[in-house]
Amino acid sequence: MNKKNAQKIKTVSDYFEEYRSVKKKLEFEDISKLKKVKIAILSSSTIQGIEKILSVECYNLGIIPEIFIGGYKQYYQEVLDKTSSLYEFKPDLIIISIDTHTLLGDAYFSYFQLAEEEKKRLFKNGINEVTSLVDNIKKNLNSKVIFHNFEVPIYSPLGIIDNKQELGFIEFVKKINSELEKRFKLDNQIFIFDYETFCSKWGKNNITDYKMYYLGDIKINLKYLPKLCGEYISYIKPLMSMTKKCIVLDLDNTLWGGIIGEDGLAGIRLGPNPEGKPFVEFQKYILSLFNRGIILAINSKNNLEDALDVIKNHPYMILREENFASIKINWNDKVSNIKEIAKELSIGLDSLVFFDDDKLNREMVKLALPEVEVVDLPEDPSLYLKVLMELNDFNSFYFSEEDKKKGVMYVDQRRRSELSEVGTDITEYLKALDMSVVIERATPFNIPRISQLTQKTNQFNMTTRRYLEENIKQFSDNNNYFVFSVKVEDKFGDNGLTGIAIIEKKERKWIIDSFLLSCRVIGRRIEETILAYILEEAEKEKVDVLIGEFIPTKKNDPAKDFYRKNGFELIGEKKDMQLWKFPVEKSYKYPEFIKIVKK
Amino acid sequence: MKKLKKILAKVLEVGEDEITKETSPNNVENWDSFNALMLVSELENEFNVKFTMDEVRQIKNVGDIMKILNKHGIKIA
Repeated sequence: MNKKNAQKIKTVSDYFEEYRSVKKKLEFEDISKLKKVKIAILSSSTIQGIEKILSVECYNLGIIPEIFIGGYKQYYQEVLDKTSSLYEFKPDLIIISIDTHTLLGDAYFSYFQLAEEEKKRLFKNGINEVTSLVDNIKKNLNSKVIFHNFEVPIYSPLGIIDNKQELGFIEFVKKINSELEKRFKLDNQIFIFDYETFCSKWGKNNITDYKMYYLGDIKINLKYLPKLCGEYISYIKPLMSMTKKCIVLDLDNTLWGGIIGEDGLAGIRLGPNPEGKPFVEFQKYILSLFNRGIILAINSKNNLEDALDVIKNHPYMILREENFASIKINWNDKVSNIKEIAKELSIGLDSLVFFDDDKLNREMVKLALPEVEVVDLPEDPSLYLKVLMELNDFNSFYFSEEDKKKGVMYVDQRRRSELSEVGTDITEYLKALDMSVVIERATPFNIPRISQLTQKTNQFNMTTRRYLEENIKQFSDNNNYFVFSVKVEDKFGDNGLTGIAIIEKKERKWIIDSFLLSCRVIGRRIEETILAYILEEAEKEKVDVLIGEFIPTKKNDPAKDFYRKNGFELIGEKKDMQLWKFPVEKSYKYPEFIKIVKK
Repeated sequence: MKKLKKILAKVLEVGEDEITKETSPNNVENWDSFNALMLVSELENEFNVKFTMDEVRQIKNVGDIMKILNKHGIKIA
């Protein structure tokens, strides 16, 4: 159940051994506080053994899995029959793998005897079969579904002229795959897993061991099962909210070759030559992660001036100062720097991935901060890019415009705090930020983000009620509810959609069901702006009182005193919830230095 | 023999010192049809050999495995 063991597990039998030993250990441990996940695997061929391997992969992440393996070739019945053990199991995740041979049946061999019409029918039936399976699941379960696409055959009876046919055999399977991708592109429950690419990655010549197929209907060579489970983990991480947000980078021999303090600006390896290119491309990929919303930070033992000289002035440096949300270049130990970075960015240590070429530094961080993901960089820099591309820590099921800008937003945040270090008076500082708040009702465009904020916001969150997109849509369609979002802009940039409120409208009484603000804009009087707006709207509709609900949690301390400090009166408590009252006639003003834009 | 025993022990959940040439599905509970294939797969990877389908089908006990490995040039004492 720890990361150290993970490195020793290589073969399938190692996994089996580890599985038994963890299982035994868990019998004596309190697992009530650990994350749990229920996974159902439905397959058209034998996948015995996968349960143990996937379990070990989950244990390594600190997750306790419960795995349901569908009956051999029973996937169709299990999905169609609502009383089946699949539905009884109520999985969080369903993995469906149907192999190409099973999908096509005898046509797998006799494809060329079919008339064009029949080929078209075969295509339609194939797509319909998949769609009806998936639709049945969607109707009955909220589980995320991973659907394997189909391995494209490498042989065709027509050989080199397969692709001269109207619809060749190989093209046929490719077309099914592309149709499936198209069909589920906008679906946020169904995810097509590119099994075809997985097979190519490990080599189609090796992926099936034919004697195993004939002896046991095993279609994937057992030695690749751990790799397959690794792919599933890419989905399990976001499912369990274990996505990483920030990359912490060392500099010497990580972002460039050599040591700046010794080799000097002209001596380090960075540029279009063979010894410099691995570092340039490593940086380019990191930059693209930044542009998809990953926060970057530096953690380096160096003289600040020397290192900044490279970052600012080296002609082949790709990552520049404006890409880093936190810069720790000093002679402190790496562990305290990492703690500082997490604190500065207000993100958990478990959101960090640390890159450092120095083994000792890595081991220190692993030991002191086990929550941090430490990447074991290989000795050879030419492999850095490959290792980086293989990380599966940044996946999410959903990707908003805000997510894309996150890397930039955190950099703006660093500049903001640099400004606040100069000024001392908080009001002066806030004035200098030149903020405007854009208030907008729920629309189909912002509903996904509103839902996402209710799922993720923990600190300034009055009730911590988590809502799905469907819930938000229902609220916004219902006249008894009022949902709006706020966007915050300032002179350093756009903070994006960072606050929301959901109000239940009763006869002359409004109840604040949800009221939250993302932590990066807390304490900038946006909270008060939102409240002022609610009261303004309430007054327009001749409401008498506004009720604020507050449900304390372990994490929402920053929201605890808000109602009291803003003139609400505590009128009662039921269960874990406090009720606060504010008479609408009482005056309440917008903070004067914030510009309000209503849409 | 040591490598072989290690793999047998891991796959079949038996102690390495309990393993003899006569160890077989008849006296090892976990030696079922799936684990038999798992065993072959692990041996192939460890010793870098490929068994034929017939060889796999003929395995009745550990002694048979040793014979096949010998045939593939792996000397098991």
